[in-house]
Amino acid sequence: MKIMKNNGIWMGSTLAVAMLVFAPLAIAGPDSANAKAKKPDPMQVVRGAKAWKNNCGRCHNLRSPKELTDEEWDVSVTHMRVRANLLPLEAEDIKAFLKASN
Amino acid sequence: MRKTLFLSSAIAIVLLSAIPAEAQTSASAEEGLSSANQALLARIEKLEAELIALRASVQQSVQTASTAKETAQNAVKTVSTVQKLAKAGAAGAYSGAPSDSKWHLAGYADVGFVGGDMPGPDSFVTGKFNPGFHFQYKDLLIFESELEFSTTNDGKTTTELEYSQFDIPINDYVTLVAGKYLSPIGQFQERLHPSWINRIQGAPAGFGHDGVQPTSDTGVQLRGTVPVGNTRFTYAVALGNGPQTTFEGGVKLEGVGKDNNSNKSIGGRVGFFALPYLELGGSYLTGKVSGYAPPAGHEEAPVTIAADVPVGSSALDQARYTLWGMDAAYTKGALAARFEYLNSHRAAFFSPTADDPTGVFLPRLGMKAWYGQVSYRMSNVGRSDFIHNLEPVVRYGQFRITGHDVLREENAQDRFNVGLNYWLAPTIVTKAGLEWRDFKVAGVPSETLYQFQIAYGF
Repeated sequence: MKIMKNNGIWMGSTLAVAMLVFAPLAIAGPDSANAKAKKPDPMQVVRGAKAWKNNCGRCHNLRSPKELTDEEWDVSVTHMRVRANLLPLEAEDIKAFLKASN
Repeated sequence: MRKTLFLSSAIAIVLLSAIPAEAQTSASAEEGLSSANQALLARIEKLEAELIALRASVQQSVQTASTAKETAQNAVKTVSTVQKLAKAGAAGAYSGAPSDSKWHLAGYADVGFVGGDMPGPDSFVTGKFNPGFHFQYKDLLIFESELEFSTTNDGKTTTELEYSQFDIPINDYVTLVAGKYLSPIGQFQERLHPSWINRIQGAPAGFGHDGVQPTSDTGVQLRGTVPVGNTRFTYAVALGNGPQTTFEGGVKLEGVGKDNNSNKSIGGRVGFFALPYLELGGSYLTGKVSGYAPPAGHEEAPVTIAADVPVGSSALDQARYTLWGMDAAYTKGALAARFEYLNSHRAAFFSPTADDPTGVFLPRLGMKAWYGQVSYRMSNVGRSDFIHNLEPVVRYGQFRITGHDVLREENAQDRFNVGLNYWLAPTIVTKAGLEWRDFKVAGVPSETLYQFQIAYGF
């Protein structure tokens, strides 16, 4: 029992430390990605089309860009960024393509 | 001499008379030139006036054109805005000005029919309705959850929480996931099981509920992608409550609301893209299970497993569970080929009960399953749209169980599927297929099923 408790304390401490270490990164990371997304350009749309085809088509059929609104694509692509392990810049490119095409 | 004098005088007179005449001609020419100049100047002035008027006219035209262009651009913007508002309004998603919180309702549903020589009658099946909710606050986090509604054989509705998790991007390469999440082991459960994505009506043998494939867990994950040159590694490392012992003495691999022991499982998957269209992966999971803990009001003991109890083993009130697997997916154009293999075992141990604190002995339980699947969308065959929407699919797999006769009798089998799908839209599919189940326990008859399903991902 004592070993179990020590085990639990150790894991809890590890998690707490990990979250404290990563917390500042959590603030900096997404903002930098957002800043890059504010300047879409034609090449970004082209990159997005390619990333959309290569990544989304790996598991399922490609949804039509017209299926969702810009705001819905924002959320949907963020969801898929986690599920499909996309890089943030890839996700931003895909959003730019989908928004330019819907 | 007189003649010469006369001539000279005459010439002189003529010359003298000629001088005033020349002078008179010069004055007259000056007057004519001045008149021409004035006329020319007047003409130039007139032309200058016309030029000024022309310039003014051109400037006015340019301004008019600019105004017209601006008006046209505004009109285009207005039309575009109206179209988007109408579209958003029709989708019920417009919430006014852009907000910090955004959301998206997704999910899938299916209905079908199953017939054949399996136990029980042929039947329409209601299938499932799985709404998924995604809520995003700026770029700070996203909360996502999926419910599963289905109808039982006696008409009751069941509701399950498939997953409910926070996703917090830490940086470009790390995302923290916390909550109940779909198992990152392999590919099928996390990415391929929704019916509008799955090419066959059901899961491969051993990859659904009560199989070797973990379905979900509750805990935390770190996951992401690490680019390496022209390729990339993907990873997911999870720390969860882990597996538990089922009432039947098997292993429950679903996320539970609260753990029944202090030992946490650790596992995950590493993926690698050997080529842009070829993904290879390896998975691992390990943790300890305790004895079956009956819910409040249910004091039943787990099914006793017929086995020789090793002498001196009664101190084993927990057992190590270990799973490993590998997967591969080749998805290029219309062709998709997939393979997955999972192998797990749980060590022997005693599962204590309310009546028997020393526990019921559960022998070593081994489970392994694999499947291979190939589908081909006929989008480049012929000129008919009907043929372009067809997709034949073939899947073969095996599920083997050792150490638990009941589970083995119900589940151990070879399974062969042949199907033909027709895509009504990129996210709407109708499936027709045959499934052969060859059970691996003597006396258990094989089954042939014909299945139809329509599935919609939204």
